[in-house]
Amino acid sequence: MSAEKGGTAVRIWDLPLRLFHWLLVLSISVGAATGFLAPAWWLGVHVWAGYAVGALIVFRLIWAAYGSEYSRVASFLFSPRETIAHLAGIVRGRSSGHLGHNPAGAVMIFGLAALVSTIVVTGFIVLGGQEKHGVLAGVVSYATGHAAREIHQVLAFALLALVAAHVAGVVVESRLESENLALAMLTGRKRLAAGRSAPKMRSSRPLAALVTLAIVAALATAGGATLAGMPPLGLRDLPPNPVYAKECGACHHAFHPSLLPAASWDGMMAHLDDHFGEDASLPEATRVALAAWLVANASETWDSEAANVFRRVSPDEPWRITATRYWKRRHQNIDPTVFTAKAVGGKANCNACHGDASSGRYDDQAIAIPKEKS
Amino acid sequence: MNKTILAAIVAALSILAVGPATAEPARDAILADLLLQAKTADGGFGGFAAERGKGFFLASPASGKPDTPSCTTCHTPSPQNTGKTRAGKEIKPMAVSANPARFTDPAEVEKWFGRNCNSVLGRDCTAAEKGDFITFMASQ
Repeated sequence: MSAEKGGTAVRIWDLPLRLFHWLLVLSISVGAATGFLAPAWWLGVHVWAGYAVGALIVFRLIWAAYGSEYSRVASFLFSPRETIAHLAGIVRGRSSGHLGHNPAGAVMIFGLAALVSTIVVTGFIVLGGQEKHGVLAGVVSYATGHAAREIHQVLAFALLALVAAHVAGVVVESRLESENLALAMLTGRKRLAAGRSAPKMRSSRPLAALVTLAIVAALATAGGATLAGMPPLGLRDLPPNPVYAKECGACHHAFHPSLLPAASWDGMMAHLDDHFGEDASLPEATRVALAAWLVANASETWDSEAANVFRRVSPDEPWRITATRYWKRRHQNIDPTVFTAKAVGGKANCNACHGDASSGRYDDQAIAIPKEKS
Repeated sequence: MNKTILAAIVAALSILAVGPATAEPARDAILADLLLQAKTADGGFGGFAAERGKGFFLASPASGKPDTPSCTTCHTPSPQNTGKTRAGKEIKPMAVSANPARFTDPAEVEKWFGRNCNSVLGRDCTAAEKGDFITFMASQ
């Protein structure tokens, strides 16, 4: 290491801060891996990563007030002039000699904090609106959730870029300071420059932090419980229809009425003599009653993900769910032998893989593709 | 003679008259009704035959809808087997020995003959064809 550094090491990052940092790295890694790479049914893990990141951010905000010296936000508030001077120093290859966060690091911290917080918030809006899960299920519409998804995705890519910049910054500053800054975030220690004495450092106030954390947690729990107690927006329990289950369920999975719009059900029920290539005629009274029930519970009357996506029917076959662009896109990566497997028996047999198909929910987490092949 | 005993004898005789009894009153009633229809259509009709029903079941008329050229498309060639609809649902065996509830609900029997004859044959089945079919399945 460099000769300008003295041997004296001083602990600048307290344990809670270091734990925060590396738990955040872990949570974001899990969130990124499950969000970018994992199949849809990993959503549960992705959501838990989101909860963890949210909780860590809340802790960090509290620790910004009650942590030890270099955890406190006051220790890394720099004026634009200082920040520009620091950046100019980096360009000239000079270290600014900050013991705690330097101005460039501070900009990164605020940038990451804002970005990560927005990703967590938009994530919960997506979860509530699209999946009708989580604390916001009772208040967010599908359309809002869908819009939030676009933001969530764009910001997730921005976070990848910012994390790359953060790591690059740590590498550059480590070289300039002749100090492994990543290691310092593990041990908490940095060596003082030769001839420099340890600065006066305020210690942390764990009790104040704990009390604040307890109050915030209590408020969050109360608020979360109130929200979680609300019924999911646009979902309802449809009482089972025994006639539908018997007459339609005899040949195929009894599709939830929310999977097609009223016009599609109406058209389908008017042509039962040629029903997907077979004659499925019913006594007129039964046909009329079932058609009325399907139309009364058609996709227009729900705000579930399935009801929303399947409202956009195929123009050529408006009654065939598997002909919709959404259905095709979401199933294109599934091995064709899955559909021919004995346990599945065809594309129309939704409930072979979607454990909650009969409720119309089609929760990502309820997907389980049977392993056995025919 | 006691009236009840007389009625029982008449009933027994009438069952014997329609062909092989299947020991299930509901199914026998359906067969009796079909026999009446078959005789109405063809005065010389001599009764149902399991062998004709078997041939009818195993044939591939392919005169109906393209996806269902024969009964066996969904029911498999063996009435003992569990079949499968084109949409992947299981169909209970057609053979009465494997599925005693077969051909005991007149409305169900009419509904399925109505649908499947049109799907496979492209026309309604005759009463004789239906009776032969049920007689064959009852013997299985």
